[in-house]
Amino acid sequence: MSSPQQPVTPPNDRVRIVVATSIMLTFISFWRAAAIILNDLGSSAFYAGGIAEQAVGKSAPWFVIAVMLFAFAVRAVYVESCSMFVRGGVYRVVKEALGGTLAKLSVSALMFDYVLTGPISGVSAGQYIAGLINDTFVIADAHGFIPRALHIWFHGTPRVNENAASVAFALMVTLYYWWQNLKGIEESSEKALRIMQVTTVMVLMLLGWSTITLVSTGVHLPPFPLLKNLHFAPAALGFWKNSQAPHLFAALGLIIGFGHSVLAMSGEESLAQVYRELAHPKLKNLKRTAIVIGVYSFVFTGLVSLLAVMLIPDAVRIPVYKDNLIAGLAMYMVGPQILRLVFRAFVVVVGFLILSGAVNTAIVGSNGVLNRVSEDGVLADWFRKPHRRYGTTYRIINLVVGLQVFTIIASRGNVYVLGEAYAFGVIWSFVFKTVSMLVLRFKYHGERNWKVPVNLRVAGYEIPIGLASVALVLLSTAVVNLFTKSVATVSGVVFSVVFFTIFVVSEKINLRKHANVHQQMQEQFQLQQADTVERDELGIRPGNVLVTARDYNTLSHLKWVLERIDTHEQDIVVMSARVSQFGTAAYDLSTEQIFSDYEQQLFTRAVSVAESFGKHVSLLVVPARDVWSAIVQTANNLESSAVVAGLSSKMTAQEQAFELGRAWEGMGEPKRQFVAQIVHPDMKVDTFHIGPHTPSMKTEDVHLVHRLWLNITHEPGLDKLHHNDILTEALTRFARDYTGHNRDEILRELRKATGGPVTSRPIGGDGGKSGAHLREEEESPPRKKKEEGPPSPPVVSP
Amino acid sequence: MGVLATAGLRVLEAMFVLGWIGSIVVLILTGIEDVETLVEIDDINDR
Repeated sequence: MSSPQQPVTPPNDRVRIVVATSIMLTFISFWRAAAIILNDLGSSAFYAGGIAEQAVGKSAPWFVIAVMLFAFAVRAVYVESCSMFVRGGVYRVVKEALGGTLAKLSVSALMFDYVLTGPISGVSAGQYIAGLINDTFVIADAHGFIPRALHIWFHGTPRVNENAASVAFALMVTLYYWWQNLKGIEESSEKALRIMQVTTVMVLMLLGWSTITLVSTGVHLPPFPLLKNLHFAPAALGFWKNSQAPHLFAALGLIIGFGHSVLAMSGEESLAQVYRELAHPKLKNLKRTAIVIGVYSFVFTGLVSLLAVMLIPDAVRIPVYKDNLIAGLAMYMVGPQILRLVFRAFVVVVGFLILSGAVNTAIVGSNGVLNRVSEDGVLADWFRKPHRRYGTTYRIINLVVGLQVFTIIASRGNVYVLGEAYAFGVIWSFVFKTVSMLVLRFKYHGERNWKVPVNLRVAGYEIPIGLASVALVLLSTAVVNLFTKSVATVSGVVFSVVFFTIFVVSEKINLRKHANVHQQMQEQFQLQQADTVERDELGIRPGNVLVTARDYNTLSHLKWVLERIDTHEQDIVVMSARVSQFGTAAYDLSTEQIFSDYEQQLFTRAVSVAESFGKHVSLLVVPARDVWSAIVQTANNLESSAVVAGLSSKMTAQEQAFELGRAWEGMGEPKRQFVAQIVHPDMKVDTFHIGPHTPSMKTEDVHLVHRLWLNITHEPGLDKLHHNDILTEALTRFARDYTGHNRDEILRELRKATGGPVTSRPIGGDGGKSGAHLREEEESPPRKKKEEGPPSPPVVSP
Repeated sequence: MGVLATAGLRVLEAMFVLGWIGSIVVLILTGIEDVETLVEIDDINDR
């Protein structure tokens, strides 16, 4: 620690770093936001109905429907929290209302929810696949398609063990996504949208076909949830299995049934996580998102559970289809068996897509939450050490996936046990959230654009009746669940206590450690906070070179730039993008969080490299949701003439440039073109123009234009013609021919000219209509030109 | 002990029932607001 007698290094001697505090986000429409949430929320439709019926009997669909209705009220709580905090997730809200200790506890419950999302989704997908394989064997056997040898081998109709197969499948999917996350998978709202489109087709077919079936079989509603109709399985009563209370107290029976169905609304937390990325007008779009996911999940999860009980005979519904209820529904529609089997296969494919997506969401989400709390000093820095090759927080990913693998194996493929445990995390994170929101009604006096309705004013005080009502339902259900879900209670409490202890111990270690690190950082760096990235903040000139830096072990591209740039003429900015993964955008980042130990190490190394060349570099840290957008937006804001990056360990130079081009296309106006240079480890450099640019022309083409100009200017009235007029006319005619009947001929000629198929990669999502394409600098002399270094700055006025 | 347990269960039941009554009002009011939001949804062109 410094003392008054030993002042720290004067600020002027320290290296100044501009830390941008606003995350550079790519905003998404409410449809895409809804698709992301529904990938998590909608996946529960595949198992929630079966789990609820095993617990409470044939009345289960009414409870699932009640949960889906109640989810609208829970959603209202999330809308209010997002109207207060742009990043209104559980951790932020609970910390604000109830303090750090309960926030850590709530995150522990949330982690339990996230960790279990993966196993239950993976195992459930496995059950659907195994069920389809077995039923296909049965049908094939009935038609005599199974070879005799196979019959003898299996002592009857061949079948796979559903539980073992689903464990194997869940492990495979989890390990696949572990590897993808370790490498740094890109979250895509496009992918989520596509999955939801396919799911919607399935849901519509399911509803339509079910309606036709109901017309022919008649409508037989399941028994209403009256005490006499509730048949609790012993496992569904947990610690109360020998008590008479659940059979005597009518409302208690309803709470137990409701508690066993509550997992149907898991995934609501995603609403808070995508809010930050919603396009303007944010609150209105959040409400639209909430309506879309509310209606969709009500129809999908609620109605499908109801239809399953109405259409699948009692004799097979639970014994055969308890873990693949929608598959069972497909098999009991009216129509030819082969058609039903094909539709079932479609259900399985959709289930595989959405449930596998949920496995990934679980890893990404829990990685995001743990990253966030570790940034807050609640988890030891050890967990955040980036992967040597991929730069991801591999220790957190390993921890999460390790817990998931353990859970999958321990569950032995039992979806019911997983569902019971899962509900613990779901309900308690909702309780923490809603109770905190209730506390904030009295404690928080900041901006609040929307409130959960029914607020009475009595003697100048506002009584939040609506919010309190939601909290009462959640709290009473969570308390009853503690008694009726013994496995969930024991595993949830143990898990939460372990995580809570890790958080508390980590926080203590970090507090001690950070005091020293903070002092060192203050001595070496001067952090200058800025909301957005501006050239003036960095004190640099237009036409500068932006060098991206991620790994302090691979700064050879910075050396390449330093060798070639005269910093008296052209400024160099070293930029590090602090990537906030999907989910973490829901949380606030402070300057210290953005500029962490890792950034300190990275910049120390960068400054040391620059000093070895005797040159000055400006330093910049930018928080970002998407690294490519952050680079492009920063280059645009700083009016950079070039962006120089090292070759990625996961992508080719062309792919890196394509991503930059895509981000450039997605950026709003005004935007500037720049040159992207990707430096390979062997110092080979690939150069790309980002944005529309003047193409390099071959000498013979220049001569051709000139000859044409000479000839045409001899024509009457054309003596004032310019060379560019000829190009404009030629291109206009070319464009007309290309869009007309000469397209094929043009393509044929171009193929001949390039010696192969001409493949143009459309940038962005407009199918290439933007007209901007990436093109490698193929016409420049391969080596000489490429090693000249970044382009010179444009001539600018002072 | 039995009386306390019964009282506890009654409290939980009361919480649940009262909570549901209030939540139904929340559902109705937010539902009306949702319909209003849907009515003005025709200006959506941001797919």
